[in-house]
Amino acid sequence: MSDAPRVGGTPGGGDASGGGAGPGPRGDWVAWLERRLNLTETFSFLTHFGLVWTPVDTSRPVREVVREVASQPVPAYARWPRVLGLLAAILFGLEVVTGVLLAYYYRPTPEAAFESTRTIVRDLPFGWFIHQLHGWGAWLLVIVVAARLLRLFWDGLYRAPREVLWWSAVAMAWLVLQSDFTGRLLTWDSRSYWAAVRGMEVVFALPVVGPLLAFLLGGRVINDDVLIRFYALHMLVLPAGFAFFLYLTFATLRRVGLSPEAPMHRGAATTLRDHLYSMLILSVLLFGVLTTLAVLAPFRFQAAADPYSTPTGVRPPWYMLAPYAVIENGPGPSWLLGLLLLAVAFAVLLLPLWAPRAAGGRVLGRMRLWGLFALAAWTALSVLGAFMERR
Amino acid sequence: MSQGVEPERQPQQSVGAGGPPTSRRRFLSWLSRAFLGLWGLGAAGAIGAYLRPPEHGPRIAERIVRVGLLEDLRIGEARLVRHGVTPFYVVRLDAGRVVALSAVCTHVRCILGFDRERRALTCPCHDGRFDLAGQVLSGPPPRALPSYTVSVRAGEVFVQL
Repeated sequence: MSDAPRVGGTPGGGDASGGGAGPGPRGDWVAWLERRLNLTETFSFLTHFGLVWTPVDTSRPVREVVREVASQPVPAYARWPRVLGLLAAILFGLEVVTGVLLAYYYRPTPEAAFESTRTIVRDLPFGWFIHQLHGWGAWLLVIVVAARLLRLFWDGLYRAPREVLWWSAVAMAWLVLQSDFTGRLLTWDSRSYWAAVRGMEVVFALPVVGPLLAFLLGGRVINDDVLIRFYALHMLVLPAGFAFFLYLTFATLRRVGLSPEAPMHRGAATTLRDHLYSMLILSVLLFGVLTTLAVLAPFRFQAAADPYSTPTGVRPPWYMLAPYAVIENGPGPSWLLGLLLLAVAFAVLLLPLWAPRAAGGRVLGRMRLWGLFALAAWTALSVLGAFMERR
Repeated sequence: MSQGVEPERQPQQSVGAGGPPTSRRRFLSWLSRAFLGLWGLGAAGAIGAYLRPPEHGPRIAERIVRVGLLEDLRIGEARLVRHGVTPFYVVRLDAGRVVALSAVCTHVRCILGFDRERRALTCPCHDGRFDLAGQVLSGPPPRALPSYTVSVRAGEVFVQL
């Protein structure tokens, strides 16, 4: 009892003396909080996630530091060229939020998976919207991650000292594709089920990878064991991996930057505050795009999967059309072709080793030419795969 | 927003933040904050509506539970019927009278046990006791047990929840 008046009296007296930096009438809670914990230290933890380049003095009041950081100049090359990575981070956040909401009602068993998804889509208020946001967000995330890979390749950002950046980007693209693949099965409608069956058959046919994957995924037949492993991978393992590589990207960006060819002081376009405002506007626009897609072009939801009847017109997802065309049409057994494709895919990882740091503009130009060639081949194979599906 | 702000004008701007800002700037910042606030409210409302636990209102057919044949219930014996979230006891008092009582203690929702000698329902958690009319005999339970209507048709016992 004797303590109560003293404790109650402190904030009133403390605001006048301890505030120091002149807190406005609205911001008193900042001063109140700052006397209880070091907000600048918390803020300096946030600076790990890119954007802030200067070291932060944790002994200074947080408002001063934030004001100083917010008025830092942001050069033009650090604004729109970096937008793909930021979009990937935003979309990942959206996927996490909507995924948690979906997980509140989803049940990962063959009997209940389709029913519970239909309950979410049909019966719950805004359930269809959350479901469509999750689906279209994943679709956009695949596009964004692929585009980011192309941009990094085009600008030669796989060369030393940015190998970690490149490896993280490749790993993130791979994780996004895996998340997309595992997520498709979870609704357990007939298309997703049979697409998974066909995709897995190709993977299981591979010499060493196939049995290993069958071991990890719970068997060669897609049943309840496989479904719950897909579920665990989709909602725990793969997002955790994505978050790890996202952090790795930010961490390596803080050390090596994205485009040091342009010096910092030249072409300082705006302040960090205004840059953040533009990114906020971009997020709002992104949400608008997703809402439009969700309303105007919703993902169709077919009948529940029946393991005893295969529907017609089961097609692989669009990004698998090129491998599909190779495996269906190429000469030789499918396991050999699959192994070849896997080797090509892994060769992308080794790109930094082929392009040494000393290499000048001519090597970069040659690499770009090779990249264009590979992209054209991939596109042609995808078109071929799409036409094979039409037949 | 205002892309034209040069870094050189930064000191001026921080001075301006202390004084009265121009009304157009204030209006625009108010507008964007109001927009974001409305957007947040809408999102919170949608998520709240989505997260509200669905009510499984039992249909009439589910509310009438078939317990079994009357002749299978011995006099003075109780049978626990495990029916969803509302388990209940069916007790045959004598040749013709059958009562049905909730098996969930009104105190902290423990499942009651049947004490045959004292013809009472006892709670294993805090030793609350109810008689076969559902009234509290002793212990912490605050309310009487709900009892349900029992009907016997063609030798079969039905309980209406």
